[in-house]
Amino acid sequence: MKKQPFLYIASVLLLALLSACADEQNFDQIDDLSVEPLVATSIFYFESDENTINAMPAGQFYDQNFTFEAFNEPFVADNLLDGKITYQLENTTSKELEIMVEFLDADGNVLDSETFILQPEQTFPLEVEVNYGVGGQSLDILRNTTDIRVTGNNMTDNTSISTMPEPKVILRTSAEFRLKLQ
Amino acid sequence: MSKFTVFSYTVLLGMVLTYAQNRQLQYDFYEAPQALLLNPGSRTPYKWHAGLPLLSNTALQAATSGVTVNDIFANDGLDFTTKVRDRVVNGLSQNDEFGASGQVELLYGGFRNANRPSDYYSFGIYGEGYVAQYWPKDLAILAFEGNANNIGRRFSLNHITTQGELVNVFHLGMNRKLNDKWTVGARAKLYSSVFEFKSRGNDGYFVTTLGENNILRNSVIADVSLQTSGIEGIFDSADGEPADLARLLVNRSLLGGNLGVGFDIGFTHKLGKSTFLTASLLDIGFISHSKDIENYTLRGAATNEGIEIILPEDLGDLTTEIWQELIDDLEQQLPFETNQDAYISLRPVKLYSSLRYNFGETKDKSKDCDCGTEVLERDTTFDYVNAVGAQFFMINRPRGPQTALTAFYQRRLGKVLAVKATYTADKFTLTNLGLGINLQAGPVNFYILADNLLGYQNIPDSNYASLQFGFNILSWNRN
Repeated sequence: MKKQPFLYIASVLLLALLSACADEQNFDQIDDLSVEPLVATSIFYFESDENTINAMPAGQFYDQNFTFEAFNEPFVADNLLDGKITYQLENTTSKELEIMVEFLDADGNVLDSETFILQPEQTFPLEVEVNYGVGGQSLDILRNTTDIRVTGNNMTDNTSISTMPEPKVILRTSAEFRLKLQ
Repeated sequence: MSKFTVFSYTVLLGMVLTYAQNRQLQYDFYEAPQALLLNPGSRTPYKWHAGLPLLSNTALQAATSGVTVNDIFANDGLDFTTKVRDRVVNGLSQNDEFGASGQVELLYGGFRNANRPSDYYSFGIYGEGYVAQYWPKDLAILAFEGNANNIGRRFSLNHITTQGELVNVFHLGMNRKLNDKWTVGARAKLYSSVFEFKSRGNDGYFVTTLGENNILRNSVIADVSLQTSGIEGIFDSADGEPADLARLLVNRSLLGGNLGVGFDIGFTHKLGKSTFLTASLLDIGFISHSKDIENYTLRGAATNEGIEIILPEDLGDLTTEIWQELIDDLEQQLPFETNQDAYISLRPVKLYSSLRYNFGETKDKSKDCDCGTEVLERDTTFDYVNAVGAQFFMINRPRGPQTALTAFYQRRLGKVLAVKATYTADKFTLTNLGLGINLQAGPVNFYILADNLLGYQNIPDSNYASLQFGFNILSWNRN
């Protein structure tokens, strides 16, 4: 009789071992996993002081295109779901300025462009968001962009001087895009 | 066969052929001679023993902390992505881990010194190793959520910790009963590494903050490395004939790969009449990796606010390749490099100790003095009917020591059957009940040890499972 408690415990443990079972598992659920991170990064920063603008003839004071292949990298292009480009502009010069950003494909064709008119001595930054994907511009614009062209036009004169400290025009850009990793 | 597939199979093979971490059921359960592998200073009631080749000990173990298979894959109708986000990505910490280990004994034998019967020698070969992957919490959140909604949050690269290996061990041990109080033992080991990979002690972070000039600034400070040995050769062989891979694995298992040395020590000390204190330190040693090395490093610091055009400085100074220049600068500041530098890996040192109290009437009290250094008879060696006690286990792991505490009850039922029941608490589970059974049918010894039996009620919902079994031929001292 003394052995009974131990045998009882051993029997219960053995029974547990022998009656091993498992809830129903569905490993196909892995196909339903959705991993879509929202990635953010700055794209480019443009700045010019008023003296430089005044040193140029009135009209176009800057025109530069450069390669930009962040979006047409195969991994990004293949997994891009949607995106947003944010432009922030400041103009503390005494001039009305036009800043234009163009997205170009490998053949130099303009896929899309954004034009910003900045009033003289703007006291608050202008912020513009452009959406791509559902409800916005075509994602193919981003996927096929290999170059960006930045153009600055002075719509006023090249002699006036702003009363604001360190007058300059600034364009900041950043991108937020959603990728489908799984 | 892709490299990834080959690597996966190799790791799985490693999981099958590797070494169980805490084997609390086998420790000091010296009815089977495998107890000597956990404490070379264990008691040895055998004249000689021979394990059945390939069948003398097979041990498998798998463990997860923080989440179970059932938590993720139960067919419960819940959205899978939500389960993964809540229970894994946000639910686990960087100290949670997934691990598997096991052991297959290829050869194991032992014999008592006829001229000095207080000495018992044992020797053998077994394959061991393990895979341990700590949850890279911050990187998982970064991959799952991205950085856009985590401005200012530092994603730590320190969370990258992984380690795995497959190694063959040749060992020779000696056990000596010094007197009626002390039994001590030591075991020399020669390690033959098949492969190893490890990434630990990493440092650095990735962070997105508001920019100084532009809207955002992405910064990376990294000191990350992955050391591998034997992996590239396996990949290369896998691209050829299957026989080439088999030949490579056998060659490396038989001292043809990276080698190392180590030792185990242990003792059993009798306190009073029925109380025993035991302890052992296992795998104090190292492997020197100098063959088939491929190490990867990511070290440096980089900050990026995108392309910058500042006039008048950049007037006429810009090329159209400014994007590529930006990429080149980043790669220069944060180079991803490989090297073939030799390195040394310390073995994962393990510590066992126990305090045991025997009680219950033995058949022949007159033989219970346990005095002198002569070899004990079988009946007197197993001088207990019941034994209770506690065991402590600690292993050195990549993120520091892991410990486990075990309470056990042991009982002999005649000369044929011995049973050990354990309760163990560790980081994986607090409800680990285990049961070990040792059967002795004449010279044939069979044992089976199973852990976390409550987990068998729903195996996928278990954090921990282990199973160990083996056959030996034993000759007792009186034979």
